[in-house]
Amino acid sequence: MVMVIESQGLTKQFGDTMAVDNITLSVPQGSLFGLLGPNGSGKTTMIKMLTGQIRPTNGQMTVLGLNVLNDPIGVRKSVGIIPEQETPPSFLTAMEYLAFVGAVRKIPDIDEKAAWWFRFLEFEDKRDVLCKDLSRGTRQKLMFAQAFLHKPVLALIDEPLINFDPIMQRKVKKYLAEYVKSGGTIFISTHILEIAEEICTGFAILHKGKLLYSGAISELSGKKQHLSEFFFSQVQDD
Amino acid sequence: MGLELFGSMMKEEWRLHSTMFGSLSFALFPVLIFGIVFMSSFLLPLFRAVLPAGDLALIITGVFLLLGVMVGGFGLLGNEVMNRRFGQMSLLAYSARSLPLSERYIFTNFVLKDIVYYLILWVFPFVLGFAVASPFIGVPPGYPLLLFASLTLTFLFGLSAIFFLSTVYSRSKPALAIIFAAVLAIAGWAYLSYGTGLADLFSPLQLLHNGTWPALIESCVLVAIPFAVSIALFTPEYTGTSKRFSNLLTPLTGKLSFFPYPPLAAKDLVDLWRSGGGVGQVIFSFLLPLGLIWFFMSVLRALVPDYAVLLVFAVTAGIISATMYTWITSFDTFCSYACLPVSVSTLITSKICTFTVLQVIPAVFMVVVTVITGGILYLIPAMALWCAFSFYSLSVSIYLTGLTPNVLVYDVKVLLAFMVLVGVPVMVIIALAFINPYFGIAALLLGIPAVGLVRKGYKRWEGKDMASF
Repeated sequence: MVMVIESQGLTKQFGDTMAVDNITLSVPQGSLFGLLGPNGSGKTTMIKMLTGQIRPTNGQMTVLGLNVLNDPIGVRKSVGIIPEQETPPSFLTAMEYLAFVGAVRKIPDIDEKAAWWFRFLEFEDKRDVLCKDLSRGTRQKLMFAQAFLHKPVLALIDEPLINFDPIMQRKVKKYLAEYVKSGGTIFISTHILEIAEEICTGFAILHKGKLLYSGAISELSGKKQHLSEFFFSQVQDD
Repeated sequence: MGLELFGSMMKEEWRLHSTMFGSLSFALFPVLIFGIVFMSSFLLPLFRAVLPAGDLALIITGVFLLLGVMVGGFGLLGNEVMNRRFGQMSLLAYSARSLPLSERYIFTNFVLKDIVYYLILWVFPFVLGFAVASPFIGVPPGYPLLLFASLTLTFLFGLSAIFFLSTVYSRSKPALAIIFAAVLAIAGWAYLSYGTGLADLFSPLQLLHNGTWPALIESCVLVAIPFAVSIALFTPEYTGTSKRFSNLLTPLTGKLSFFPYPPLAAKDLVDLWRSGGGVGQVIFSFLLPLGLIWFFMSVLRALVPDYAVLLVFAVTAGIISATMYTWITSFDTFCSYACLPVSVSTLITSKICTFTVLQVIPAVFMVVVTVITGGILYLIPAMALWCAFSFYSLSVSIYLTGLTPNVLVYDVKVLLAFMVLVGVPVMVIIALAFINPYFGIAALLLGIPAVGLVRKGYKRWEGKDMASF
């Protein structure tokens, strides 16, 4: 099995706070992997390290076979990222932002690709509105579109559905499932267990920066346990 | 509850600044202001020989009026600026809306906090520096107190005027246009009637000149009315806009294709244009300070040749031009780029390119000043000095502050390092230019350390976590 993400002893300390503590994790290709944990458990820090936005205090990691510490730009070229805080530049319109991403990533036929995403995520009427004037949900749609514009083989998404309404959530979940079926890999961080149980194939539980568990969702059906029950048993035991 | 909210807002403002600049560095900022004013006060007797005391008072009043306007403007734009820089982080002024407090009450506390905070940060240290120096320079003992009252009221007038105008703006844009037209008409009529003595009608300045009770009362009324009207008319509703814009970025990216990173440079220019800050920045951050500096320097004509004044001005204009780097970095948080394959050094390179485009403004300005002042013979050394110091000061800024020159401006350590790194070459080159104006062209050699500083800056800032930008 090919691993698209591998970390060994990954640690990040901010002053006296141990945000991520000695995490060894592998994510196989073609999976929809959920990093679960309560607020402040280190999920966002993990994503930031895996995408080269921050450097670990200790440990090693590879993403798509690239050493993140040596080649963070190479990693960001190959993957799609949706950060936790949706922050498209304030004074560009939604269309201009996608054109900007297209120009930076050198994506051909950007107008057609952007038009498809405006249609698919149902915000064509907002394409010429400045990003600062968009609602949170629309900003998240825009960030979602920019992450998949170049058809990456791996997407790392921090809280993927948090600002979407139920109709859009269903649509996006379906898209993610099809994306994985076609060979892509999704790594999401979330604290919404129902979503994780519904769409993820594999998961890991993070609590206070430590990895409590890592395995496949199918393992739970063998134990006749729901993800939420299993999550609480792990977190409370800790 | 009132004191609690006010106290919390004060703490919040302090922690916001001290987090950005470091507690010690930020705490030293008023000390720096005090020190500069204290030392500058000893130059007053020299200045008095060539500059009437009234003109000096006018300039200082103008600076504090501008300070009030800027603090007022920043306070009102605070949420947007903070959101850009800190994402979801919000200020108490906004999050307190979930408390059982009226918006008007929160706004009043916010305004009072701004007043007290910036009085402590700027006005008190300024007046204290002058007051401590005053016994040594023959200033009457009561004068610092008068200066304090006058500058405080000037600062408050700037602040209240901006609050008033922004309140009118939020209610009715046509009303704002009418007010502007009326103010312009009255100012024009007053100028025709009173000529250059117009500024003396400004009551806080009258207070400084005369120290009379009527001037004090009139100044207080001048401040209180706009404040009272602002708070009475304050409307908390945020009226979102759904104004549409055509795609400016793509054609601009094409036009800038000769740049190393055309989309990044195009984005900077679109940001600057759409933020509405372009014209305002040119006037308030460039033309106005340089106008004041030219005014100050022109008094030196009695002491040094005209060409020397021009060349020193060119050096100063170069250093001021370098602050344009803050214009093009104030719209970004690095988070905007965190999901893209863009490195810090790529971004800095792109900002240097955008900065180069913006240098057209000071270049034209310098040519105009040189021609108007009859210094055409010295155009080449003047332009060389301006250009060399503009790019050299930029390189120092990049080395010291990376992509956040605006955030670090209050950091005393950084400010002192900047002053040393720029100040030493300034003295050497000015000395050379005074020997022979054309020796000033040697300033272009500053390009060598500038390239070195930028390279060091790349290495230094590439090594920092992106999330910390």
